Amino acid sequence: MKNAIAIAKKELNIYFATPIAYVMFTLFVVIGSYFFLRLLGAYEQASLAYMRFQAPEMMSRLNFQDAIFRNLFGNLGVILIFIVPFLTMRLVAEEKRQKTIELLYTTPVTPGQIVWGKYLACLAILVIALALTLTYPLLVQFNAGDSNGVEWRSVLLGYGGLFLMGAAYMAIGLFISSLTESQVVAALITFVVLLMTWIIGWTAGEAEGWVRDFVTYLASVSHLDSFSKGTLDVKDVVYFLSIIVLGLFATNRAVEAHRWS
Amino acid sequence: MIEVSHLVKSYRDLKAVQDVTFKVEKGEIVGFLGPNGAGKTTTMRMITGVLPPTSGSVKVSGYDVFERPMEVKRRIGYLPETPPVYTDMTVRAYLRFVAEIKGVRRSQREGEVEKVATQTNCRQFIHRVIGNLSKGQRQRVGLAQALLNDPEVLILDEPTVGLDPAQIIEVRQLIKSLAGKHTIVLSTHILPEVVATCQRVLIISQGKVVADDTLEGLQRTHAGALTADGQAGPAPSLEEIFLKLTSA
Repeated sequence: MKNAIAIAKKELNIYFATPIAYVMFTLFVVIGSYFFLRLLGAYEQASLAYMRFQAPEMMSRLNFQDAIFRNLFGNLGVILIFIVPFLTMRLVAEEKRQKTIELLYTTPVTPGQIVWGKYLACLAILVIALALTLTYPLLVQFNAGDSNGVEWRSVLLGYGGLFLMGAAYMAIGLFISSLTESQVVAALITFVVLLMTWIIGWTAGEAEGWVRDFVTYLASVSHLDSFSKGTLDVKDVVYFLSIIVLGLFATNRAVEAHRWS
Repeated sequence: MIEVSHLVKSYRDLKAVQDVTFKVEKGEIVGFLGPNGAGKTTTMRMITGVLPPTSGSVKVSGYDVFERPMEVKRRIGYLPETPPVYTDMTVRAYLRFVAEIKGVRRSQREGEVEKVATQTNCRQFIHRVIGNLSKGQRQRVGLAQALLNDPEVLILDEPTVGLDPAQIIEVRQLIKSLAGKHTIVLSTHILPEVVATCQRVLIISQGKVVADDTLEGLQRTHAGALTADGQAGPAPSLEEIFLKLTSA
């Protein structure tokens, strides 16, 4: 574990010594804020309209969670698809290209520690990025006036879902980075794979029966949505955790196998 | 200290290293010579455990490199062909990181980093980002990294490449000063370097060991014919011996 933390610290050192981390935070927050403002505007319009037409039962159904945060988390999840490949692309690929992997192979560090260290570092970046977006529910909370405010339990569950989805994406990205020496190739393939986990959900509407259930289960965004609705289902947790475990295991094997090639 | 026995490495139809066997005793400095592509780097990578051999075995301090890799890695310092430096880190951050993964205790880490930086003359650029350093400076950072945690065995793949003449002399002196306490295998193309630093010479050609002796021993074996008045001919230089052995 000590070695894994040393490697994680090294990766974070590089993330923050280069523009990668800052660019990623900026993009995440800029695009996130755009979506947040759009959703907030729509919420405002809806509540004004209901008030004008004196529709109290509609008004009582309008809440921040469904109107703003559920959609916002969906959007942030999609932004992750575009950002994660650029965070994970260099993790192993660059070590191979620069031959620094030989340093790791000749010091008392196991492949498992290398993989864990790198994974922990990108998780830390994910946590920071998500923490920056906490400003949105806080803003709503402070300006909610005498209404019920933000349902924090549901919002935090949504964040839990986003974290798990980002972590699963990063496990995929880390694995793909361990298969190549080229950062560009790693980023492109990761992007396509992550995109597939999103767009496969679109075909679910056309399918029927078990195919429909299966395709829905495969789509990452549908699992995220269940979190952002404010529900905690073991099925969704298992989905993300199994991707993470599989990704890390495969990366470990790939790092080990690199020496034998 | 280092026992290499019947080491073979083949890539499909190419035999990079064929049945290499040699021993290095504790405290010795061995020069590893050979033309380009002779298998020097491949052999060194197998000794350090980076590359698994096709067959044969390597033991360092009595531990087999592939059965007890962790024991071996704790005892070895390795400078690969390309210095394994992270170009986005500063020299100090890099050396601290290597000290940490080599298991240097937190309380000693700073002192250890200072020590190797002084030994390799890296102190004046210790705060700079490695990507902005010259080739020779990076080479010295790579050497500093190998020296961290005072390893018993040092494997140096062309340690003086890219250095200017003054630095070459400094590094040679450094290597000489490490003799006795450390066991050192260094590869090089520069023959005078071997004469200046090494006690023993190992010449490898086309994946095979063609000579393994002290310099004097080699000169005796390959001494020229007797001159007309019955005196022994002039001792051949290492260049002559090298060319004779590797051209075959």
